[in-house]
Formats: sequence, structure tokens, C-alpha cells
Amino acid sequence: MMHSSRLTRRSVIKGGLGLALATTALTTLGLPMPARAAGKKVIIGAFADGGLTPFKEKIIPLAKEQGFDIQFLEDEYGVTLEKWFADAQSGAGQYDLYLLDDPWVPQFGAANVLEDLGAGGIDGSDKDWIGSMIDMGYWPPQKGPRVKGFENAKPTLICVPFVGDLQTLTYRNDVFTGGAPKTWDEVIAKGKEGVAAGKIKYPVVFRGVSGNPIVTSWYPVFLSFGGSFFDDKWNPIFNSAEGKASADFFVGTMKQNTASGVVEFDSDQEGAAILGGDAGAIIQYSGNALKADDPAQTKVAGKLDFGVVPKQEKAIAQMGIFIAGVPKSAPNKANSIEFLKWYVSAETQAKLSEAGSIPVKRSAFGIAKPGNRLIPVALQQLDAGALPRPRTPDWAKVEELLGIELNKALQAGSGGGAALDTAAKQVKDYLTTAGYY
Amino acid sequence: MQTGMQARKYRLQGAGLDLALPYLMLAPGLMVVLGVLVYPLWDGLRASTRAYRYGSPVADVGFHNYVQLWSDAQFLNSLWVTVKFVALSVSIEAVLGFALALFCLHEFRGIRLLRTVLIIPMVITPVVVAILFRLIYASDAGMLTALSEAMGGGGVQILGNPLNAFIGLVVLDVWEWTPLMFLILLAGLQSLPHEPFEAARVDGAGSWRVFADLTFPMMRPVLAIAIVLRTIDAFGTFDQVFVLTRGGPGEATRLISIYGYDTAFKFQQTGYAAALFVTIGLVVLALAFSAIRLLRRIDAS
Repeated sequence: MMHSSRLTRRSVIKGGLGLALATTALTTLGLPMPARAAGKKVIIGAFADGGLTPFKEKIIPLAKEQGFDIQFLEDEYGVTLEKWFADAQSGAGQYDLYLLDDPWVPQFGAANVLEDLGAGGIDGSDKDWIGSMIDMGYWPPQKGPRVKGFENAKPTLICVPFVGDLQTLTYRNDVFTGGAPKTWDEVIAKGKEGVAAGKIKYPVVFRGVSGNPIVTSWYPVFLSFGGSFFDDKWNPIFNSAEGKASADFFVGTMKQNTASGVVEFDSDQEGAAILGGDAGAIIQYSGNALKADDPAQTKVAGKLDFGVVPKQEKAIAQMGIFIAGVPKSAPNKANSIEFLKWYVSAETQAKLSEAGSIPVKRSAFGIAKPGNRLIPVALQQLDAGALPRPRTPDWAKVEELLGIELNKALQAGSGGGAALDTAAKQVKDYLTTAGYY
Repeated sequence: MQTGMQARKYRLQGAGLDLALPYLMLAPGLMVVLGVLVYPLWDGLRASTRAYRYGSPVADVGFHNYVQLWSDAQFLNSLWVTVKFVALSVSIEAVLGFALALFCLHEFRGIRLLRTVLIIPMVITPVVVAILFRLIYASDAGMLTALSEAMGGGGVQILGNPLNAFIGLVVLDVWEWTPLMFLILLAGLQSLPHEPFEAARVDGAGSWRVFADLTFPMMRPVLAIAIVLRTIDAFGTFDQVFVLTRGGPGEATRLISIYGYDTAFKFQQTGYAAALFVTIGLVVLALAFSAIRLLRRIDAS
């Protein structure tokens, strides 16, 4: 006998209901949430960077002892800005604290999506702050030009410095035997001798990928040649004679003295080149510098020293700190502010300094653990000069336009000055459209 | 009397349920479509007519964003790169996919395993594919460089050279998506009637004649569908480029999807990005309609 099953209205409704119930049950009951420690919950969003390793390894456990339940969510640098901005603007409330890259502060500030931390009880006028670092937490900025619409607004502390960071020079002490090279010409000349002696493969290494990476690598060269980015009316002046000389040197001389694949180099390849013993010198933030003495992370432990960035006119580095902001949509706002107050206290900053990071409070600079050679050099660099990037909410676009043109010139190995002219025109056009003038 | 009225009432209720049931059953689906398709589309269209500053709308600008697109050198470059990428990738995939489908049509020992192996690239997550190719292409520690150095050569520059990076991206896409073409075309070939082919063989037609006069003409509708589907899909390629090159070096691999993403999310020009995506949507729609018209013409002939 043949069995036949008819599709009836009743069977379809029963089946549909059954499926809906089963799905609901599976999603609500089937996947138990992992148990979390009880405490004052703070969800921290950060981009992956070696500069945060001491914080993760030493400070988070201390915070737990203080009763904070820290949830540390890391993402790749390239996606965090847009992800957090969308979170803050939509009020999604996925984070309590963002550890921003400092050039992003104006974008978040102009959109008015971060809490006023001054009103929350954090004192921005504390003399113990490193002045240039706390300045970056204000929107609109307390010093320098302001973008239209914010000329008369009162500066508000929307972010506080979290981990101090600035570019310094890392060099091979067996190649630069007389100490840190003082000028770019010396980096190249001595580096070539190191190559000839078979100690290294190339004198210098840097990041060449378009956008933020190449601009970050070019910036200290640009500053050391005496360049300025904008005038006080937001007109791009980076294509001045000094700027062009720096770009020509960067895409010409520096390219000829680095790895052949530098056009595609980002921080991972750059770090591998210096830690792997291929490169003679590098300008870098603390992320890779912190690995310089660890034989597990470098093939040339003991051969890497730190110094102030080389100069042509001045020895000025780019400052780029981790800076913390609390979104207005933070689900645990009070906990975040309490955590920040504890974190920026002189005592916790001293612990951060001991752990190897560059602190954000002046009093903690002297408390570096014995053998930490980076922090004293960072202080020297601060004294020699370190400048943040221009405080405009449109920095991401400016950096993109400039980065593309610099990257094209780097591929060609020439035409740095012309690239700056093209980029300056594009930046001017863009800022005109955005109502800057 | 009472019983008769009740029976009539039940009949009417039954009829009402019969009338309403299809709509009731459609309602959840309709609500989902309205919520996740129609509303975002309408919202996107509305956003495309506005100017945004710092992530918020500040003014209605009508069609200004659409007009501005055509004088934006970066948009035009991205569009050109995308068109080149789609044309090259889809053409190669169609030819390779067809060749593989014809080959795998034959039954021989191991054919099932071969068919399975051939579709593996398609089922790997695009991001993983991009990471794999990054490991192959990287000039410092990539597989190609390692091979070249083992043979006494130097580093191989793929991602640092505009032309090589573009070709590298096409190769990645071809590797990943030829299996889709292959699968669609193999299904098409397997569904062709046997009689014309047997008749041709009886008449002594050679392989090329059979392919040119029978297989290809009969497969044209399937091929057209496969090409249209892949073209629409290729226009939206994002993950692989995002991981592999981020659009670089320079702007050599900056597809329209990457430019649109940056414009919308990184630079917060929401209205302009919406206009960009609507324009691209219309271009793809126009392509799809043209392909469908072409199909109908083929069917009619």
C-alpha cells in the first residue's frame, strides 16, 4: 500500500509554529551566556596595538582588584573609527569607553557624541598632565585654529589621555656605533655602511601603504624639514618648499634605501623588518619599541637603542596618543568615569609607567622600571618637540587624499613635491566643499 | 431554524478565514520586506538628497549629490576600476567555468571527487580567501617571494605595483568564483536533451561542430544568466579588496564599494555616499534589464 502525505493548511500552520518555537527556544535557551565576574562593568573598545600591551597585562588585573569588571574588545585599526562613530551616533550603547587615536577626537567632538568629562569630575587643569597631551582631549581645541561653527564654543574636556605615545627613533647600535643618528643624512650614510658590512639589509624602513600608514611615516620627516600643514585659516601649506623637499627625500632617497616592497608595508611588515634584524633604523610609536629587548620577539635583542627623531631643520616627532572618551550612549557611564578617575590618578599612572608604557602624567615619568630605555627617550623627544596632527574633524579625509598621492609618488620613486601639490589642491577643494572658508 | 443559522454562520466564518488566510500568511514576510528592504531603500533615497555634516543631515540639496558625482575624480576612477575588474574577472570566469563544465560532463573514474574539489574555493569565506592570497602575494614573506628566492630570484612585487595588484585581485576573484560559473554551467549542460547530440553524432559531426552548432547555442540562456548573476555580484565585491589591498596601491584597486564605504563611514559623507550607491544600483539594474532583454531576444530567435 502506498502512503501518501497531503500538505494541508493545518499541517503548514503546525509546522510553521513548531519551527518558530524551536528557533526561539534554541536562541534563548540553547546558548548560555558565559558567566562574568561580578563588579562595576566597563566595556572598553580599543584598536589592536602593541602600545596597549602593558595596559592589558598589568593594569586590567589591577582594575579588577579595584572592583571593575573590564571587558576589553579589540578591533583592527582600520575599522574602529567607523565602527565606534556609528555606535556613538546611533546610540547603540555597545561600549562604555573608546580608546581613540587622538586625531579622531575632533570628529567625535564635532558630532557631540561624547560625555563632558570635566562635568564628570575629571580635572583637565591638573598641572600633572602632560600639557600637550591633555590639550588633545578638548573640543573645540583650546589652542590653534578652529573650524567654522566652533569659533566661539567653549572648549570641553571630552577625552582624557590614556597611554602617552609619540614617535621616536629606534636604531641598531652595532650600525650607528656613535649613538643615535642626528640627521637623516647620517641615517642613510651610516646605514649604507651597515649594509656593506652585512649587518643589515637596508638602512631604514617605513610604512608605504596609502592613507594613514604612509602619512604617519612621512610626517616626522616633513616636520624635521620644517614643514607646516595648515595655516591659521585652514589653507593647506604642506606643499611649501620645505614640505616638497621632505616628500622628495621620502619617496626618493628613503625609498632607495629601504625594502623593495615598502609600497605595501604597514606596521606589521615594518615591525618585522626592525625586529627581524633587516633594517638599520625606524621611526615608530611604542608598539614595536616595547618588544625591542624581548628575545622572544626580536632576533636582535640588545642591539636596538632609542633616540630622538633625526632632524634636517628640527627634530620634531608626531605625537599620537591613545585617548579615552565616554560615549553619551554608554550603558555603564558612571562606572566608566569612575574607572577613568582611578586610571589617570598619579598612583595608577606610576604602575603604567612601571609596566613599560609612556604615562600621561608627568609625575609618573620618573617611575619607569629599571632597564626601560624608552620612557626617558620619550621625555627627551617631548622636550625636543612633538606635534599632534591638525585638529580638524575632516582629518581622515585629508589623510586619505594626501596618502594616496604620496603612495603614488612612492611607487614611482620620484615626484614627491608634485604629489604634495596635487594633494594640496584636492584638500583645498574638499575643505571648500565642506564650508571651511 | 437556529441550527440552520449557526451552520450558515460557520460557513461564512470559514469563507472569511479562507479569504484572509493567504494575506495572514503573507503578512510576516511582507513586514520583513517592508522593514529590511523597502524602508532602508526609501531612507537611502532620502539621505541621497541631503547634505551631512559630522554624521548628521544639515540641508536638503535635491539632486546636487548626484550631479557632484560626475565631477568627482575619485568616484570616476573607482567606477572605471570597478568596470575593468568586473569585465575582466567575469569574462575569464565564464570561459574557464564553461571549459571545466564541459570537461566534468564526462563520466570517468574520480570525476565526483574532482567536481567536489572544484567547488571548494567558492565555499571558503571571502575574508579567508583574501588572507590566503595576502600570504601568497606579500613581497617580504609571501609564498611567491619564497619560491622566487629559492630559485635564485628576488622578491616578487604584487601588492606594491598598481598593475600587478589589480591583476592579483582579478586572479583572486577568478580562483574564488569560477566554481560558481562551473556549477551553474554544469547543471545547464546536464539538463540539455540528448537527442540532438546523438543525431549529430550519427551524422558524423565532430566535437567542435557539435559544440559550435549545438552545445553553445543551447547553453546561451544559461550562460547569460550565470554572467548576469556574477556581474551583479562582482559589482559588490568588497571583503577581498578590503583585506588584500584596501584599494591601493594608490587607487589601483579601489573599487566603488571601497570608495563608497570610506565615504559613508570613514568620512561621514552619508548623503553623498547614498547618492553614489543609488547610482551604482541603477547601473547594475540597467545591466540586469539589458541582459534579460537579451535573453528574451535569444529565446525568441
